[in-house]
Amino acid sequence: MSQLNIENVTLTFGGVNALSGVSLHVPEHEIVSIIGPNGAGKTSLLNCISGFYHPTKGSIRFGEHELGRAAPNVVTGFGIARAFQNLELFRGLTVVENLLLARHTHIKYSLLSGAIFYGKASRIEAENRAYVERIIDFMELQAYRRAPVGTLSYGVQKRVEVARALTLQPQLLLLDEPMAGMNVEEKEDMVRFILDIREEQGVTVVLIEHDLGVVMDISDRVYVLDFGVRIAGGTPAEVSADPRVIEAYTGVGSGHDASDPASSDQASSDQASAGQVTA
Amino acid sequence: MPATRMSQTGNYKTTYRQDQGIFANRKELIWIVLLLVALLLAPLITPRTMLRDFDLIMIFGIAALGLNITTGYTGLINMGQGAFMGVGAYAGVVAANAFNLNLFFALLFGGLSAALIGGIVGLPSLRLKHLYLAVATLAFQEIFTWGVGHSRLLAQGGAIPAPAVSIFGFRDSFLTHNLFWYYLILPILAFLVLVWRNVLRGKHGRSLIAIRDNDRAAAAMGINPATAKLTSFMLGSFYAGVAGVLLAYFSKSVVIEDYGLDVGIKVLAMTIVGGLGSIPGSVFGPAFIIGLDRVMEQVANWLGGLNLFPSGVDVATALRPLSFGLAIMLFLMFQPHGLASWWDKLRQYVTRWPYKS
Ligand SMILES: Nc1ncnc2c1ncn2[C@@H]1O[C@H](COP(=O)(O)OP(=O)(O)O)[C@@H](O)[C@H]1O
Ligand SMILES: [Mg+2]
Repeated sequence: MSQLNIENVTLTFGGVNALSGVSLHVPEHEIVSIIGPNGAGKTSLLNCISGFYHPTKGSIRFGEHELGRAAPNVVTGFGIARAFQNLELFRGLTVVENLLLARHTHIKYSLLSGAIFYGKASRIEAENRAYVERIIDFMELQAYRRAPVGTLSYGVQKRVEVARALTLQPQLLLLDEPMAGMNVEEKEDMVRFILDIREEQGVTVVLIEHDLGVVMDISDRVYVLDFGVRIAGGTPAEVSADPRVIEAYTGVGSGHDASDPASSDQASSDQASAGQVTA
Repeated sequence: MPATRMSQTGNYKTTYRQDQGIFANRKELIWIVLLLVALLLAPLITPRTMLRDFDLIMIFGIAALGLNITTGYTGLINMGQGAFMGVGAYAGVVAANAFNLNLFFALLFGGLSAALIGGIVGLPSLRLKHLYLAVATLAFQEIFTWGVGHSRLLAQGGAIPAPAVSIFGFRDSFLTHNLFWYYLILPILAFLVLVWRNVLRGKHGRSLIAIRDNDRAAAAMGINPATAKLTSFMLGSFYAGVAGVLLAYFSKSVVIEDYGLDVGIKVLAMTIVGGLGSIPGSVFGPAFIIGLDRVMEQVANWLGGLNLFPSGVDVATALRPLSFGLAIMLFLMFQPHGLASWWDKLRQYVTRWPYKS
């Protein structure tokens, strides 16, 4: 059994399926990437995992926990963190304050202790501040500690977004296009951070990314979504050789027509069972 | 509405504990001590009539700080702060009369009762936002006014006398009334400001600001939006309840007129004029609105002396709501961050002098 098991998830918006019967499996400590064209349903899938959407059908299990109807804050409590595609930072707050907010569930004292502050609350806050500082060092954000996040450049904000998710001390980290809009140098930094996160913290990573070079380089496993359907899944080598993937990406058919529902249904169910075997 | 001040020069901190300190640096500590000393000595040079206004400013300062917690820091609009003050006032005074409680317990009981009701009235905030929440709190205000007006136990809204207070052998007497309450209310206000500053330094305060700034991200941080919103309503109405008890004791009785919709709107106006999400603003606002009232009385007297209006027309009655409405409109248009933003500019100017910012 993998750490995260998504079985037959369907998500419908007003009669339109954003996801149709998607199954995928994320083993512990792996880097698993989800690729696919814009509008394929990648972000919707992350939203289902992190509790912002609830699947119309199917189940999502994380270890012991069923996530299908759980609220976002509950999912976070289970040990799943998320960096959003469209930055969802507290723009008026500083980097330190943004990261301290991610310590919310780890900071345990009552409102009364908080009102007194000196003693217990002060000590616990200082401990968590030290943890935040370790993440700041790790993600090389020292220069921006005190800056209101809204004033930082886009690339740095993306890094703060990842740092904040990491500060939650998760077992599973969901990264939605963490490198979008970055220059090459920033991208290289981010790739290094992702690899280090997995190595040093033992965190499982689910990565959504458009840069196929990066994806094929660092992933243990790759899943491909197209029009809400999982059309392929496997090791980077398997996936890049898959004719359906080449077809979805280049639009050049190498056999049957991609829009033919019968063949794509067939494909996804084939892949679903194949995925279960490998997982 | 920045939640924190920019770090200033003159901070030489070496531990995280120092970094969470309540004052930015030693200079700020000195200023606060000087301010407290000035406030303690102020009655010596203040005319007695003005002292009454000081007392009211501090009482409404507590209510405005409470509303600031809910509306300024958490972003949940509340039009019923008058009713929350009323819940505190009635609970505190009735309990004090029935069980012979002293002022301290009356304040505590009034505050806690208001917090309890605040937690219930806050429930719609889990579903409703903006205008809809405003209407829900408005409905509570109307129910409160109606309920008190129809309750025999509460004299149908008529005056219920508050017990006389004596503390450390000092008695509330006719001649020293305003002075007596000045020295009673000041430490209570200071204490409640300190409590809120403390909460703001920790996880609870941060979570309220997070809900205001980005509720999606707040939930992704593991913050339960329902807990945060109800905490905010309960804290805000606790402050209102304490202010309500003080107002009742200060005016020697509870009457429903002191806790109506107009009072809630006045507190909201004070909070906006002072500056949403600002602690000093919570006192500047009441000072401005109550000061404006006095100025308008003077203007009305002067106008009345000119014999411009037929006898029987009370110019003051017309001028007060007019100036009140105009002030709020002008603030919303030209200074939406309230008096507090001028205060911040002044502080920065003083800190940087002789350099230009
Ligand atoms: N809240 C929503 N309401 C309606 N449609 C939505 C909503 N969220 C996503 N969708 C639709 O679901 C599809 C997949 O979107 P998305 O998951 O954002 O794709 P991706 O992240 O792969 O680019 C799109 O067609 C999008 O319009
Ligand atoms: Mg997306």
